[in-house]
Amino acid sequence: MSVPTQFAAYLHHVTFTYEGALSPALRQVDLAIRRGEMVLIMGASHAGKSTLVKLLNRTIPSFQGGTLTGEIWLLGQRCEQHTVADFAGRIGLVAQDFEAQLFSTSVDCEVAFALEQFAVPPAEMRERVHAALQAVGLEGFERRDPATLSGGEKQRLAIAAMLALGPELLVLDEPTTDLDPLGKEEVLAVLARLRKEGRTLVVVEHEALAAEMADRIVFLAEGRVVGDMAARDALRDPEWFRRCAVRPPDLALLAYRAGWSEVPASPELAAAKVEERLARTALGSLHARRGQPRTSRDQILLAADELWFQYDEGGPFVLADVSLEIRAGEFVALLGHNGSGKTTLAKCFNGLLRPLRGQVRLKGTPILGISSVDRAASVGYVFQNPDHQIFAARVWDEVAFGPRNLGLSEEVMHERVREALAAVSLLERADDDPFWLTKGERQRLAVASLLALRPEVLILDEPTTGLDYNEQRQVMELVCRLHRQGMTVIMITHTAWLVAEYAERVVLLHQGRVLFDGATLELFGREDLMSAARFRLPEIVRLGQRCGVPVRSVEEFMAVFAAAPEDKR
Amino acid sequence: MKLSLYIHADTPLHRLHPLVKVVGVFCFFVAAFTAERPLQSLALGGLIAALWWLSSAMANAWRFRWLLTMVFFMTFLVWSLFFQSREPWLSWGPIHLGEDGVSFAFATACRLTAFFAAGLLFLSTTRVEEFADALRMMGVPAKLGFAMTLAFRLVPVFVDAALSVVQAQRCRGFDFDRGNWFQRVRHYLPVIVPVFIGALRRADLMAMALEARGFQRQGQRTSFRTYGLSGLDFAALLVSLTLMIVWLCWARLTD
Repeated sequence: MSVPTQFAAYLHHVTFTYEGALSPALRQVDLAIRRGEMVLIMGASHAGKSTLVKLLNRTIPSFQGGTLTGEIWLLGQRCEQHTVADFAGRIGLVAQDFEAQLFSTSVDCEVAFALEQFAVPPAEMRERVHAALQAVGLEGFERRDPATLSGGEKQRLAIAAMLALGPELLVLDEPTTDLDPLGKEEVLAVLARLRKEGRTLVVVEHEALAAEMADRIVFLAEGRVVGDMAARDALRDPEWFRRCAVRPPDLALLAYRAGWSEVPASPELAAAKVEERLARTALGSLHARRGQPRTSRDQILLAADELWFQYDEGGPFVLADVSLEIRAGEFVALLGHNGSGKTTLAKCFNGLLRPLRGQVRLKGTPILGISSVDRAASVGYVFQNPDHQIFAARVWDEVAFGPRNLGLSEEVMHERVREALAAVSLLERADDDPFWLTKGERQRLAVASLLALRPEVLILDEPTTGLDYNEQRQVMELVCRLHRQGMTVIMITHTAWLVAEYAERVVLLHQGRVLFDGATLELFGREDLMSAARFRLPEIVRLGQRCGVPVRSVEEFMAVFAAAPEDKR
Repeated sequence: MKLSLYIHADTPLHRLHPLVKVVGVFCFFVAAFTAERPLQSLALGGLIAALWWLSSAMANAWRFRWLLTMVFFMTFLVWSLFFQSREPWLSWGPIHLGEDGVSFAFATACRLTAFFAAGLLFLSTTRVEEFADALRMMGVPAKLGFAMTLAFRLVPVFVDAALSVVQAQRCRGFDFDRGNWFQRVRHYLPVIVPVFIGALRRADLMAMALEARGFQRQGQRTSFRTYGLSGLDFAALLVSLTLMIVWLCWARLTD
């Protein structure tokens, strides 16, 4: 067996239990990170991923207490009483919430902060700040206020702030969560560059794209390492991803289902394989599987007429001449990058924001002419972050808050709360403190607290942010169920596969204008628009286009193409 | 929406050495503290207004116009009513309204408003880091200086969170304007709780991030920002100190 000192990090039989917790967050974890290696850590929410990375820079146990057993070696040193400060500079940890890690008023000061703590001479500091910014592609941003950066830029800045110290081991906890596709791409490109430089990287990630660039993937489940293998091997068996609540890469899933031995590297290569190996079956079954599209006879529920909006007088227009109609029973996705005006438009829809010009009408009545209580009862708006609304000490009271505001009788309120909690499968948790719910449960609670108002339209702002794949599916199944029962749904999102699989109609916003409004698959065919909005289609959709079949998911693809008989094993 | 106070501009006030600015603000505070006559108050007001204009920070003055007006009028009202005037025009219960009271109230209101205006001007033209640097140059330990200026870094963040929370609760039919004053305070619980919990969570995360960047390290620190004393700095220092001394003499003479 090799010596622990050779490794960047070496964990032997590590078990950790947080103070006050009933069960361990990590159980008997063995892990060895070789120098120059990129290791991905994947797992469902609460599988112990964050706990594991916090062990790698001594945040645990020196910051968050608990019971720790087992041996930990960091950079060749056996850790006993070491604190974060002992490894600061040599081990960098970019934690999950990048917003909370930025506190300076300019980009260069942010990067320089760590160097100041290490008393680096000013002249050298300038060089290192420059190099770090260059490494993450933020040159030219030196004087910008971090608060004005996009999500992807903020995350890259947080990485640069760590890179400036030249760490031997860089640990990143979910660096692409919360980012739009463009931001995700930017951050992944930075990771690829760091990997090329030969840096040791440990990355917690839900994004399957990252799997394709890693050396090794470690799968965690309930605090245990359940799989530790070369990334290439993991990609050959997508069951690994599914088991750990990670959305498997489309092509890996397809290759698995079709029984191919190699995962094609791109949809283009996959298309060639499809022609060669798979036989097309009936295309008609695909259409039968999808429901009937909405007819234009349905009532117009919400209408925006020539909306213009700006946050600051004299500032840019966040909405510029936006007009659209939402009909009863529709499922519409509002698509666009950060800053494209999605959230602003949605807030105009329920009267939270007053447009500069133009108006929103709810069934013909100007929305601002309706009292705020009646508005709330008609247009439900689920905010992106459920923690912005949860305040009650009991799940039940949280949901009852809305109906109470409407002044409903105790009896009616009771019925509504019960119904709403049942709809999100939280009825048995009614007496719990929301504080102890998981993020996925809190998201469902937030939906329930609006359902209790029985709105006609439900607007969801990024309902799947920060959730693992299983939780995302649960939330989306809930939304689909409500939709089938007649609820009109407007969903703000930038997650490509969500749009592909769930939305009937897409409104694409770009720089405050409606770039496209129509059927989802039609938009996917418009390459010009997709590249203008820098929106990346799911691989399976691109493959479908190559093969001349408009599909939305691997399941649909497999329904059209069946493995040719000679290929079945 | 812009929430931080700092205004990006390149004016003489922005360029001043932060320590000089701290001294300047100090001199102004001393002057404001000793101003008791309306004429002196007007002089103070004129000075600060001129500086505001010079630093192209008027946008901030406009943003905080209600705060400044409120401070002025509330102070004026309270002091004119409760000042025990020697020759009152009007006596009613504990209230003795008279000329000396009104003039004192006016001066106090001007003084307090000037405090606010000067502080706001300082924060509009000085980065939080520069403020921390100035504190360190004055001998405040680096960690303490960081902690002292942390409030200015975090207030905009919390204000932003609070605005989101208010909107989120509005969406659930929450009516902020219902009930009397006392009930309204209690009503704000659905806003206060999420903001507070969010703040705690954030503080915790930030502490970890600071640790990872060597904040707990002992010993010497350097600064990324280098400050030289220019002719402008010496001039500003000289003017501030001279003005303060002249002012003190004036206040003394008019006593």
